[in-house]
Amino acid sequence: MEALNIAIKSIFIDNMVFAYFLGMCSFLAVSKKVKTALGLGAAVIFVLTITVPLNWVIQEKVLKEGAMAWMGADFASVDLTFLQFIIFIAVIAAMVQLVEMVIEKFSPALYGSLGIFLPLIAVNCAILGSSLFMVQRDYTVVEATAFGFGSGTGFFMAIVALAAIRERLKYSNVPDGLKGLGITMIITGLMGLAFKSFIGIAL
Amino acid sequence: MQRSNSYIIIFAITLTVILGGALSLTSVVLKPLQDKQVELDTKKKILGAVMDISNIEDPNEILRIYNEKVKSLVVDLEGNELTTDPKGNPYVAENVNIQKNSKMDAKDRAYPVFMFIENGQVEAYIFPTFGAGLWDWISSYVAFGEDLNTIKGIAFDHKSETPGLGARLTEPAVQARFVGKKIYDQNDNLVSVYVVKGEGNTGLTDYEVDGLSGATMTTKGVNVMLQHYLECYSAYIEKVKSQKS
Amino acid sequence: MSTDVAEAPIEVVKEPAEALLSKRRKRIVADPLNEDNPITVQVLGICSALAVTVQIKPTIIMSLAVVFVIVFSNLIVSLIRNSIPARIRIIVQLAIIATLVTLVSEFLKAYSYDMYKILGAYVGLIITNCIVMGRLEAFAMANKPYDSLLDGFGSGFGYAWIILAVAFFRELFGSGSILNVEIYEPIGNMLGVTLQTNGLMVDSIGAFMILGIIIWIQRTKNGYVEH
Repeated sequence: MEALNIAIKSIFIDNMVFAYFLGMCSFLAVSKKVKTALGLGAAVIFVLTITVPLNWVIQEKVLKEGAMAWMGADFASVDLTFLQFIIFIAVIAAMVQLVEMVIEKFSPALYGSLGIFLPLIAVNCAILGSSLFMVQRDYTVVEATAFGFGSGTGFFMAIVALAAIRERLKYSNVPDGLKGLGITMIITGLMGLAFKSFIGIAL
Repeated sequence: MQRSNSYIIIFAITLTVILGGALSLTSVVLKPLQDKQVELDTKKKILGAVMDISNIEDPNEILRIYNEKVKSLVVDLEGNELTTDPKGNPYVAENVNIQKNSKMDAKDRAYPVFMFIENGQVEAYIFPTFGAGLWDWISSYVAFGEDLNTIKGIAFDHKSETPGLGARLTEPAVQARFVGKKIYDQNDNLVSVYVVKGEGNTGLTDYEVDGLSGATMTTKGVNVMLQHYLECYSAYIEKVKSQKS
Repeated sequence: MSTDVAEAPIEVVKEPAEALLSKRRKRIVADPLNEDNPITVQVLGICSALAVTVQIKPTIIMSLAVVFVIVFSNLIVSLIRNSIPARIRIIVQLAIIATLVTLVSEFLKAYSYDMYKILGAYVGLIITNCIVMGRLEAFAMANKPYDSLLDGFGSGFGYAWIILAVAFFRELFGSGSILNVEIYEPIGNMLGVTLQTNGLMVDSIGAFMILGIIIWIQRTKNGYVEH
C-alpha cells in the first residue's frame, strides 16, 4: 500500500521534471515530436525500474556504514558511502549498456524504437537523481522499485505531454527571442502549475 | 584511435586505482570532521529545545555545554530502559535515527530521552518526534519541565515546508507559542497540545496553540506528530512521575 | 635494426608563443558568458541546479561547486586526452567527474554541514550536469590543458550567472529577501503597507518562468533565433 502510494506520488506530485527539474536536458531536447518523446519516455521507465532497486541493493549491502556485516564481523564497520556517486553512475552506465545489448539481441523491433535513446539515458539526471533520492528517503526495496517505476512514468507523461504541445506550437506566433527554449520553459512552468492540482492525493 | 584490449584494461585499472585512492584518502582524512559535524548538528537541535544557542558561535562550546548538562537514555514503548540494540551493540541515544525509527511499528522503535540537568536536578526532559508535514517530513525536539506536563520549549525542523507559510515553524516567535502549554488535563489524561486553525486567536486554553495562517496542512501534521509521539512516550512519562511521588 | 638509424629527423616547427591571454583565449572565456551561454543558447545543464535556486546562498555554493568540477575535469581530461582509449572515453570522463563531485560533497559535509543538508542529493547530480560532460566531449578532448582550463572557467561562470540571476529574482519575489536580508519588510514599513511575497516563486514553477524570461531577454538582445 505504501509502495503504491509512493508510486502515485512520484508520478503526479513529486514529478521528476516539474518538481525537481530532473532530466531537463533530454526533456527539452527530445520533446519536439510525440513519437520520439514516447520512445525516450518508455526507455526512461524501463531503465529506472531496473536501476533504482539495483542501486538500492548495492547501497544496503555494500556501501552503507555497516552494510557489509553479512560478509563477516571484520567488515561490519566498513563505510564506503564516499564511493556512492561513482558506483551509482557506473551501475547506471553499465546497466544501460547491458539493456541495450539484450534488447538488440532479442527484440530488434524494440531496439529500433528504444535503442537510440538508451545511450542518452546514462547521463540523464532523472536516473541518477532517483537513485540518490531513494537513498535520502530510506526506502525499502519494494518502495524503491515502486519509486523507480513511478518516477519513470512521471517523466514519460511529462515529456509526451510537452511534445504534444510543442507540435501544436508550430502554428502559433511566438516572439522571435522566445522561440524554442524560452517558450518551452514557460510552458513547462504552466504544466507544472497544472500538476500542482494533484497535491493532497494519497491512498 | 584504436588501442589494444590490454591497453584499455591497464588504463582502466590504473585510473580506478588513482581515483579510488584519491577518494579513500579524502574520506579517511575528512571522516572525523564529518562525524563531528553530524554530532554537532544533533546536539544543537537537542539543546535548541531548552535554551537559546543561536549566538554561540564556537562549536566546541556547544559540545561542552551538551556534555556537561545533557544525559540521555533509550527507552521502549513500555518505558523500560534499553541498553543494547537488537544486534547487541550498546545504544547511544544521540545516534538513534528517528526518521528510520518512525517507519517501524510503534512497539519496535527505540525512543531516545534527553535530560537537561542543572545543579544535579533534571530541569527538562526532551523527546524527539518525527512526522509528515505538507510536502515532506517534519520533526521536533520538544522539552518538558520537570513536571513532565508543561512545555518548556520546542525546536522544529522540516525538509521542505513552504517558505513564509509552513516553514515559519522554525521561527523562534512561533516556537515560543508552545511554551507554557500543557499536555495533561486536570484528570491526568493525555490530551497533547493542539495547534488551532488560523492566526491571532484569543482565549486559547492551556492545550491550544495559536496557528499559522496559510499553513493548515503543516500544522495538522504537527498535531498528529506530537499526539502520536507523546502517546508513545506516555508509559515512560508515567513511570518517571510515579517514581517521583 | 637499421630502421633506427633511418628514422627521419623530426621537423621542429617553432610556433610563436601565444600570449597568456591572447584574443583567441579571451574569447574562450567570454563567449560562454554571453553569446554562447551553456544554458540559454546551448540548452545544457538545466537539470540539477535550478532546484537549488530558491535562495541565493545555496545557489552560490552550487555554482562554485559546478565551476570547480568543470574546471578541473576539463583540465584533467585535457592532460590525459591522448592516452584515453576512445572506446571507454565516456566512462572515463564519468569516473573523473564523479570523483571530483564526491570530493566536493565530502568537503561540504566536513566544513559546511548546513549547506550539505540543504543541497542534499543535488550536489551528486552535478555528475549528470550536461554542461560538464558536454565541455569534456566538445572541448577538453581536443584542446591543450591551458585552453581547456579557460574554457572550463568560461562555461562554469556562464552557467553560474544565469542560475544566480534566477535565484536573485526567486528569493526577492518569493521570500522578500536578498541573501537572507529582509527587503520587503523595511520597504513595506516605509510605505505603510504589507508587501505580499509570491508563493509561486518559491515553487519550481517560478524557476521555469524566470528562466524563460531571462532566455527571452538575452536572445532578443543578441538577436539569436531558434528554428
